[in-house]
Amino acid sequence: MSAPHSNAHSNPYEPPSDLERLQRHGWTLGAVGVAACLVGWILDSNQFFHSYLVAWLFWLGIALGSLAILMLHHLTGGAWGLMVRRTLEAATRTLPALAILFLPILLGMQEIFPWARPEAATDELIQQKAAYLNPAAFTLRGFFYLAIWSLFAFILSWLSLRQDRTADPGLIRRMQAVAAPGLAIYCLLATFASVDWLMSLDPHWYSSLFGVYFFVGQGLSALAFLIVIAVYLSQRQPMDSLFTPLHFHDYGKLMLAFVMIWAYIAFSQLLIIWSGNLPEEVGWYLERSHGIWKYVSILLALFHFLLPFLLLLSRDLKRNAKLLSKVAVLVLFMRWVDLYWLAAPSFGHEGLSFHWLDLATVVGIGGIWFALFVGQLRSRPLLPINDPYLEEALADD
Amino acid sequence: MKASEGIETSGRKPSRPPVVAPGHSPGSVTDQITAVVLDRAPRWWWVAFGISFALVMLLLRALTKLLFEGTGIWGLNIPVGWGFAIINFVWWIGIGHAGTLISAILLLARQEWRTSINRFAEAMTLFAVACAGIFPLIHVGRPWLAYWLLPYPNTMDLWPQFRSPLVWDVFAVSTYATVSLLFWYVGLIPDMATLRDRAEGKFAKVAYGFLSMGWRGSATHWHNYETAYLLLAGLATPLVVSVHTVVSFDFAVGQLPGWHATIFPPYFVAGAIFAGFAMVITLAIPLRAAFGLKDFITTRHLQNMGKILLATGLIVAYGYLVEIFMAWYSGNWYEQFMILNRIQGPYQKQWMALLLCNVLAPQLLWFRRVRSSPVLLFMVAMFVNVGMWLERFVIVVTSLHRDFLPSSWGMYSGTFWDWATFIGTIGLFLALLFLFIRFLPMISIFEMKTIVPKQVPNTAEEAPE
Repeated sequence: MSAPHSNAHSNPYEPPSDLERLQRHGWTLGAVGVAACLVGWILDSNQFFHSYLVAWLFWLGIALGSLAILMLHHLTGGAWGLMVRRTLEAATRTLPALAILFLPILLGMQEIFPWARPEAATDELIQQKAAYLNPAAFTLRGFFYLAIWSLFAFILSWLSLRQDRTADPGLIRRMQAVAAPGLAIYCLLATFASVDWLMSLDPHWYSSLFGVYFFVGQGLSALAFLIVIAVYLSQRQPMDSLFTPLHFHDYGKLMLAFVMIWAYIAFSQLLIIWSGNLPEEVGWYLERSHGIWKYVSILLALFHFLLPFLLLLSRDLKRNAKLLSKVAVLVLFMRWVDLYWLAAPSFGHEGLSFHWLDLATVVGIGGIWFALFVGQLRSRPLLPINDPYLEEALADD
Repeated sequence: MKASEGIETSGRKPSRPPVVAPGHSPGSVTDQITAVVLDRAPRWWWVAFGISFALVMLLLRALTKLLFEGTGIWGLNIPVGWGFAIINFVWWIGIGHAGTLISAILLLARQEWRTSINRFAEAMTLFAVACAGIFPLIHVGRPWLAYWLLPYPNTMDLWPQFRSPLVWDVFAVSTYATVSLLFWYVGLIPDMATLRDRAEGKFAKVAYGFLSMGWRGSATHWHNYETAYLLLAGLATPLVVSVHTVVSFDFAVGQLPGWHATIFPPYFVAGAIFAGFAMVITLAIPLRAAFGLKDFITTRHLQNMGKILLATGLIVAYGYLVEIFMAWYSGNWYEQFMILNRIQGPYQKQWMALLLCNVLAPQLLWFRRVRSSPVLLFMVAMFVNVGMWLERFVIVVTSLHRDFLPSSWGMYSGTFWDWATFIGTIGLFLALLFLFIRFLPMISIFEMKTIVPKQVPNTAEEAPE
């Protein structure tokens, strides 16, 4: 057992063959979605860009959250992370594609962001922020964030591949040395990205906790997604004999922790702004507490926090892969609702205004993204075959 | 290739210092830890305890004067009506966070290196919370009426204002103190029994026997014990977050620029853990040297604590940065002035010192050499101890002293009695700590024994590296 596995010949952790079918479905859905989006763009370009931003942020959240969880795993270790490291790595390698999918947002900047419109010139407060909120700086920053995140994703994936080939034990230290500053830089850039892509939809509003809300949400998206993928893989060769209830117990605990952190951040921000009751801050919440948005807010409290929280307290549920994946799907859906709730009230439509394009953009971007993700997942063994801690992780039950 | 024959694949793992130094057996663990309590006190202990006790006398002197003359002996005035009392309260309560974090969260996360440090970190938590509790009590002006803060039916029609986080503090801190005390005591029971069995003196036998609550170490006892301990850990975990969150609400729910910031809750919690770990390091490094406990509090512990210090320090730095950026981005004149006043105003020195202590000094912990050097790690921790006090000073004073109306601006500084009270509580803290290490085992004996047997094969495995 001590000799490193040779990658070329028998790979004991080869991805299951029906992933290929899944990838084809992804492409098909993506094509249908993109076609629908194109029609929508022609019919109602305003609505298209609004829907597109939410959908893009949703899928970006899974990829970026995966990067954060991957770095967290490198720093803290543990069997839970080794079992899904390849899933996380595959998700992070989609970041360059998401950078290309950022382009339509630049095209629709005026439709999406009030500060990018000509009227903004007469708004004194927006003018004060013009050094930050202007099209050129917005574009440059956007690509800068995406480039840095992609860079970290590729360095970690590359080191992981080298570990498969050379079994060099020193690589663990190097991955840690990349992950530590990587995690700090991810959080910092995500904070500014949250200002650019969501907070500035209402350019008068500000909240210093918003960045944390944004990246905690991404971590939760990624955890829910990795649970769904892990459960899918655990029903197929070769992972069916390797995943144990203990692994799912750990994922469940982590998801529970993130659900609680999300609620903690959301509640803190609400309480502080509500009790300060300052006109420049509270307007954002007033928009979300009237008319139909009031019910969406309640929906978030009940299904983004309360229900998953209560369900995930159960030890039996966390150890039951199928049930856990159902909670994960609920959480993933609520992640989209949360992003929709953050963005849509600021677009100034009347009422709830759910549009078929909201679905079409999620399916269009999602189909393409998912197909790319599955392609990445298929390209490597499902476990880091030469990680020195792998045997310990597999023996864990 | 390092994976030589005879050693399993795990031999390829990067080497790490062990949690317990090699060569220990369950018996030697008990001997070494109980010896600290049961042998005669070394001379330095009497000197150190004497100095701390003198400072307790100073505290009593300051409190007596306060009760006779009132809070006028402090530097408080309008506009700065919250001075040392709040700064010291928040500082102490922050320090009181590491103990429960180490005990509860690291226990739930199955981090077994916590075992050597959890006992005295918990004790430190209790003493820090005790010091913290003094300040709001004396700050109310008439401490003998402090029970009015509690909601109880009375003929005066008094009822606390439940919208005020200051009332939430009463509940948060008292709950935290109760659960921390219980957690600490429950963890001590099996060790009390060990001391009972080993004590020579009659009084010691009876006292430890009484405290061990009839522990005989039967399987039923252990079973119930483990369940209770895990439940308490689960209970304590949210409390770690809740206390400092409520403390941050004390500031953030107001409208004052510099206090009203949504980032406050997580940033205060991280700051509390930061301060708490700094204090654990400050105490652990001299103690392990003085009592020869380097086999139990090893380089591994120092490294891990250094990493936690670095991580929480980065979160605190993130808080400072976001505060500055949002003040600019808000476009709000008063927010922008508040930040500029911190950077360039009359308290500029304190602000710069704060950055040096809390942001720059912890960056040294990126280097493994600093994390594994007791001297350097101790120095960084001392910087953080000072920095976290300065942080609260900057938040409390610079926000209050120049608020919306320039006509009501003023300056603030602590008086002799402010400092006497503060230094007096440091004396109280140290005196309690010295008593603790003399009378109770500062490292959990029975938990150390559980990691000793595992240690034996590991030592062989770490050797080839």
